[in-house]
Amino acid sequence: MAVKLGMVIDAASCIDCKGCQAACKVANQVPDGFWRNWIKRGDEEKAALDRLGLRFQPGNCMQCDKPTCVAACPTGATYKEAKDGVVRIDRELCIGCGQCIAACPYDARYRHPQLRVADKCDFCAERRAAGLQPACVDTCPTKARVFGDLNDPDSPAGRLLRTKASVQVVNQKSNTDPNLYYLGDPGPADWPVQAKMPTPWQFWKSLGGPALEALVGLTGLGVIAMYGRQLILGDRDQPPDHASGQPEGGDHDQRA
Amino acid sequence: MFKRSLTIVIALAILATSLGLAAAGDGNARKGKYLFRKNCRACHLENGKAKDLSPMDLTQAQWQKTFADPSKLACKDEFAKLSKDDLNDIMTYMVEGAKDSPTPAKCK
Amino acid sequence: MTSKQFVVSRRGFLKLGVATAAAAAAGGALTARPASAKGGLKPGFESKFTVCDMCFNKCSAIARVSDGVVQKLDPNPKFLKSRGMLCAKGNAGIHQLYDPNRLKHPLLRVGERGEGKFKRISWQEALDLAAAKMGAIAKEHTRCGMLFMAGADMQSTFVHRFAEAFGSYNVISHESNCLLSNNRAFLDTFGEVPIPDVLNSKYILMVGANRFESLVTPDSIDLMTALRQHGCKLVVLDPRYTKTAALANEHHAIRPATDLALMLALMHVLIGEELYDQRFVAEKTYGLEQLRDHVRPYSPEWAEGETQIPAEAIRRMAREMAAVAPAAMVYPGRRSSDYANSTQIRRGFAMVNALLGNWDRPGGLTAARVVGLKGGIPLEAPFYEDNPPERVDSGQARLMFEEEGSFKLTRDAVLKGEPYPIKGFFAYHVNPMQTGANRQKTIAMFNKMDFVMVMDVAMTDTAWMADLVLPSQTYLERLDPASAQQGSSACACVVQRDPVVPAMFEAQPVFWVVKELAKRLELGEHFDFTVEEFRAAQLADLPDAPKALAEDGVYYNPSRLYGVYEGKIYKTKSHKIELFNQRYAEAGLDPMPVYTPLAQPPAGQFRLVVGRNALITQSSSTSNSLLLQMQPDNDLWIHPEPAAKLGIKAGQKVAVSSPAGRQVLTARVTHETRPDTVYMHTGFGVMSKELAAFGRGGCIAAVLVDAVDEISGNMAMHETFVQVAAA
Repeated sequence: MAVKLGMVIDAASCIDCKGCQAACKVANQVPDGFWRNWIKRGDEEKAALDRLGLRFQPGNCMQCDKPTCVAACPTGATYKEAKDGVVRIDRELCIGCGQCIAACPYDARYRHPQLRVADKCDFCAERRAAGLQPACVDTCPTKARVFGDLNDPDSPAGRLLRTKASVQVVNQKSNTDPNLYYLGDPGPADWPVQAKMPTPWQFWKSLGGPALEALVGLTGLGVIAMYGRQLILGDRDQPPDHASGQPEGGDHDQRA
Repeated sequence: MFKRSLTIVIALAILATSLGLAAAGDGNARKGKYLFRKNCRACHLENGKAKDLSPMDLTQAQWQKTFADPSKLACKDEFAKLSKDDLNDIMTYMVEGAKDSPTPAKCK
Repeated sequence: MTSKQFVVSRRGFLKLGVATAAAAAAGGALTARPASAKGGLKPGFESKFTVCDMCFNKCSAIARVSDGVVQKLDPNPKFLKSRGMLCAKGNAGIHQLYDPNRLKHPLLRVGERGEGKFKRISWQEALDLAAAKMGAIAKEHTRCGMLFMAGADMQSTFVHRFAEAFGSYNVISHESNCLLSNNRAFLDTFGEVPIPDVLNSKYILMVGANRFESLVTPDSIDLMTALRQHGCKLVVLDPRYTKTAALANEHHAIRPATDLALMLALMHVLIGEELYDQRFVAEKTYGLEQLRDHVRPYSPEWAEGETQIPAEAIRRMAREMAAVAPAAMVYPGRRSSDYANSTQIRRGFAMVNALLGNWDRPGGLTAARVVGLKGGIPLEAPFYEDNPPERVDSGQARLMFEEEGSFKLTRDAVLKGEPYPIKGFFAYHVNPMQTGANRQKTIAMFNKMDFVMVMDVAMTDTAWMADLVLPSQTYLERLDPASAQQGSSACACVVQRDPVVPAMFEAQPVFWVVKELAKRLELGEHFDFTVEEFRAAQLADLPDAPKALAEDGVYYNPSRLYGVYEGKIYKTKSHKIELFNQRYAEAGLDPMPVYTPLAQPPAGQFRLVVGRNALITQSSSTSNSLLLQMQPDNDLWIHPEPAAKLGIKAGQKVAVSSPAGRQVLTARVTHETRPDTVYMHTGFGVMSKELAAFGRGGCIAAVLVDAVDEISGNMAMHETFVQVAAA
């Protein structure tokens, strides 16, 4: 069976220390104000009043099995790697149109302000190539994040998936079949939003489908047009930048 | 007659207080540390002429007893070389760092 | 997914298209596209051991270095004390090394103190000047006229060595602004400061400490394991609903300043209902009968009146703890800089533990384990006959630690000029401007001095106030002596530091500075060695250590964890654990803590309590761009009821003022605090314009009133009553 990298996370063990966020930022040179991962938290005021406790939910790109980001990408820069299931971004092909960012129910992507391409978690591809764990997994004090091949029943992640009850946190209208599983109570569960797909693209896709994609891709003209658009118009005409790292519909509360 | 008795009483009192002071160990521990190193550590160190010694080796009561009567010690002559004040200082240093004196701990 | 296959081929074509397009556009506007930089780890990196310096824990870590640049700091999986992890602050260490504002050259003040005007000078000039000034102070005011303050750093031992060789008794540390009263209390009960065995505990009563939030320390990790995997119950008593409270089994918003009432009531139940460990107490403690009489009036019903915790809950806590004892504890915690009787309060904590019989046993309080590190190269310090007889802060706190002193009492002495003047100050890796309550007094103290020199990595507020500022190497650039670490049930170990990257700018280690000063002051003989030689002397009894340190980044001594005290005496007068402290009685102090209600805030005022979270350090986070991204500011926590009465809304600027000073910051209106209590994180409101955090938040030191613990001289900060108003 093909390798499918994912995570099984014990939200109950998360203490919101933000070690994973710091490690990821350093390991992946994520620019100031942007994040590849997050920790969602429940309603603190409610917790303080009802004294029923708080749960913290670490997360990052879920490397979904039905990635809406891939569907939204006009150039094929983003794709699901066959050998391990990780959704990758080829920076040389990305034209920074931002459609994938809007298409993600988890707001897991951001537009890199200097490189002007989309960016997101790739489970620390370079670290894995060097035989290291993803930075967030390695650094976590309580080892709340367990990483590995979900298809291997004997791997630490596979074993957890097999032996313990777990859930996926999804938006009912855009269930992308994520590969981050949460053991027991995941904490905040209603935060993923419906994917915003690029409508004209979808329309044309439904009409012309693959032929149209090939036409745009093959000519390279479409690509050049996009480049030109980006260079001429700069960042003004792009989808919301989430410059503050605060996505819509989510609770990326960075206050510690 | 009275004057003589008074002198004796005063002398005894002074003797008693100096002995008492020696027992209490209220000398200068800092000076005592310096004097200990200068005088005692010459022999009392690892691979030295005498046993490696530090304040932690005896209890407070044991140090006080040692200094009250060093006549049985091998180095009793060394004791005789030092002034009463110096001995009091050394004893204070030993007592403050003794086996049963709570020693300060670092932020660990 | 049908598009999967197509995506591959589409990409392939696109790549070709791009290449063609790029070639076609060579020399044109299209090549203005920014180069595609690869983030993450470059292949072919080197891995080097280091020891983190972002907090006192000194976790071993592995630096990944490419082309002489540190790319990432990773945990050392072999480091048991950290359970193989590295927290957010540890990861952010790179930003201390590459902080664009870090100190680069020696600086000499040219404006007024506190103006922040400096000029660059050479190291020669700096050292010559410092030696001359210190010599002048020694001549006019004796050597005790110099005050030394060194923080929890692996080279601080060299500063202490210098101070001793120089001849000043006036050496203080950060600890008297933190936990000395706690240490004092446990020392006076058990004869040493314990390390809680959280991992194996079944019941932890955590009073004021905030282990899941204030920092990530082995106890934070073990606490989660104990809770999730070992069925441990965590009960948190804290006026705030902290993260730890939110993750605990039970929380009570105890009224501030009443912890001792709770402890006495627990003792009342444990003794009254015969729930204490009878055999242990009979064999190993002294003073049960006196304590029995003493706690008779301190019933849970009485304690409810003080603490505002229901009597039934107090009684239940005692019974629950006894049921699982000895694997039950009152968590000792760390910072105890709260009240003027903080030593006695912590004596209460210690005595409950003693009754539970958890000393030296699994899940309880453990003794220090043998590490085997020696003292390094011995010092034969001279004795200066003209010195005053005592430290400048002595004679006030009855049981002050001679080697630690009291920042508060020293500062008072400097301001008064009595018993004798202190005219010089050398601070290393410590920041009393941020951590010493009542900042105005600290500023006044500096202004009383002739010469202030500060060595640090960044321009902290303390450096900002100095005459001479010296640039320190960061931990990643340093060669440091070995250091012994206690890791509770995980380990007893040794770590050391070797440079990961060469030193930047003109940064030097403090060892070199004191060595150079010593040479100029004719004390060179006391520093006639290298750090490597010092280290070798430290490791002389541990022949296996160098290899382990080189291969694993840590050396373990598999020394005894439990039962260390079998057949040994305790360091108390009775040679047993003292419930009744005889030395206290002799010194005219309460041998068992007596409860007197402490003042509560008057109407319209609040008690200010302080703390931090795992992204804030005592100093270095103020210049750490990564940590500041995650924690950009602090705010004032205030309960919605009094906020409404004061017309304060969330996010509004408020002024918090006390007799010590006034600060303006944003209000956070929340139920997470009590109506009578307001709260601020430390680590903000800095004066130094060279810190990235300048202009943000409020400084706790500027508002906190400086009371003092009578027994240890520890700073007491929670007696601060403040007014809050819209700013």
